[in-house]
Amino acid sequence: MGKPALLDDGDGADTTASDLLAQAPCGFVSFREDGTIVYANATLGHLLGVDVHELVGQSFERILTVPARIFYQTHFFPLIKLHGRAEEIYFTLRAGSGAPVHVLANAARTEVSGAVRIDCVMLRIHERQKYEQELLHAKKAAEGANAAKMRFLSMVSHDLRTPLGAISGYADLMLLGVRGEVTDAQAQDLRRIKEVSYFLLGLLDDILTFARAEAGALTVSRENVTVDSVVARVEAIVAPQFETAGIAYAREPDRAGLSVCADPDRLQQILLNLLGNASKFTPSGGKVSVRWSVDGDRVRIAVTDTGRGIPAELLTQIFEPFVQVNREIDARKQKGMGLGLAISRELARAMQGDITVESVVGQGSTFTVSLPAA
Amino acid sequence: MAVDVLRRNNVKVFGRGTQPMVFAHGFGCDQNMWRFITPAFQNDYRIVLFDYVGSGHSDLRAYDRTRYGTLGGYAEDLLDVCGALDVRNAIVVGHSVSGIVAVLAAKREPQRFAQLILIGPSPRYINDGDYVGGFDRADIDGLLETMEKNYIGWANYLAPAIMANPDRPELAAELAESFCSTDPVIARRFAEVTFLSDNRADLVEATVPSLILQCSADIIAPPEVGEYVHRHLPLSTLRVMQATGHCPHMSHPEETIREMKEYLSGKARAA
Repeated sequence: MGKPALLDDGDGADTTASDLLAQAPCGFVSFREDGTIVYANATLGHLLGVDVHELVGQSFERILTVPARIFYQTHFFPLIKLHGRAEEIYFTLRAGSGAPVHVLANAARTEVSGAVRIDCVMLRIHERQKYEQELLHAKKAAEGANAAKMRFLSMVSHDLRTPLGAISGYADLMLLGVRGEVTDAQAQDLRRIKEVSYFLLGLLDDILTFARAEAGALTVSRENVTVDSVVARVEAIVAPQFETAGIAYAREPDRAGLSVCADPDRLQQILLNLLGNASKFTPSGGKVSVRWSVDGDRVRIAVTDTGRGIPAELLTQIFEPFVQVNREIDARKQKGMGLGLAISRELARAMQGDITVESVVGQGSTFTVSLPAA
Repeated sequence: MAVDVLRRNNVKVFGRGTQPMVFAHGFGCDQNMWRFITPAFQNDYRIVLFDYVGSGHSDLRAYDRTRYGTLGGYAEDLLDVCGALDVRNAIVVGHSVSGIVAVLAAKREPQRFAQLILIGPSPRYINDGDYVGGFDRADIDGLLETMEKNYIGWANYLAPAIMANPDRPELAAELAESFCSTDPVIARRFAEVTFLSDNRADLVEATVPSLILQCSADIIAPPEVGEYVHRHLPLSTLRVMQATGHCPHMSHPEETIREMKEYLSGKARAA
């Protein structure tokens, strides 16, 4: 390296590089790999309120608070040893008086002819530390509020189920004529009441599943299940929707017997959602298809439609809860809250799988569920 | 098999020997920490490295709060790895919390293990009456806060980016290499499970012989703790090292290797 470059001011002041290091406006400490301090600058002495000469020969850990010592041993030291440097590490030093001194540290490991040294710069972060503390508390409060919201959602949707069940139950009784004859017009109204209450029950189920997923309390079973058995169950439910909408549905080359490790009911829920969406967003005369294949140790089940597609900028958003593409345009046609894809993805992930999407505007979309092969 | 343990735990197997030597990393780190030790054994043993779920390059999606809510869950990871490789007659080398994890695993499936090497083990970190663990509860709370502040910058910023970009593994790698854990919530939970657990009662029933490597001036596992483990762990040998600190396998690999070899050759003098 040679001699440090210092501009001679010609004022006779005899400033050396080591003076500059000693007085630099940050703490500086250099220690061996075993922690023995070989040099500490005067600023560090000021920060700690101790004579800097007392630090030399001591262990670096001695100037740390106990929690910082644990962090040093479990994180900081391995980081320096394995990667040669550590940056922006928050530490609490222990001043001579015992008071905590919050610092941000950068450290680098150097090896000169076999001798290892760790050089560490420390900046005091008094005000920033208070601010970060507030951030941390705010973050925790927000997490708590979110959890409370989820509990509330879960409770409310649970409580709404019972009266809804009663509404459709009584409509059933009346339809059966238990309360006396009903006219055709009345029967039609009662069927609408039933339809709407089923629809609401579906929504509540979505909210409940979503709330459980958000709370990390989603339970899924894992068993070997053939893909075609689940697809067949889903087809029985969605076939009438496709027919009414004038959409051609096809199951591509049947790979009977191909199995995944999944919860059959949850997989059915996912496929119902994907096919339900496809029926909603594909115009009359369009086509929806399902096919599946093996890809390494995964099975990929793809649902393809010839709908209008999803703009690229929305592709990552559609899996977020309460997001729907073109909400305004579709308000009339769309039922639901935009929870379907969010739930489907949570379910897929809970089964060690995932859902991805590819889409071309004007041509259509393909949603692919990947799950572990059985 | 439904769960691919080798991928989930990022298992690496190498070496020219037949007897397995399984290395279990400690809290705050990953399998990289063994890189100064394994070269000395890879000619004579079959080396097995892995990351616990939530550490290093493990599959984060396999993390389960309940399973990893006790050290027993981490012992299951170790046993899963041994099971997947059909490991028998193995030597387990466990650092820090993994010393206890190894003891728990050996208790459940003793037939798999020949010997345990425990580097800086502690069955309980918090002082309790006459028992000296080295820490008070407030110290552990302080550690959790220090971790949160350090992970706030890294993990909170990067974790969502990692989750949103599974096709960009370099993001996860960046974080994993920084703090050996890609998820601040998991890291915090691991810290709680590690530092708040009490596994003293698990020591007494051990049937697999073990070597305890105790460092001088180790703040995390002070000498009293090493002696406690030795007193209560049947068939254990205690060796107090010259090495200081808590990570002799990184700071003093030569001495660590020497102690391990002496013990494995049967020459170690029981303390």
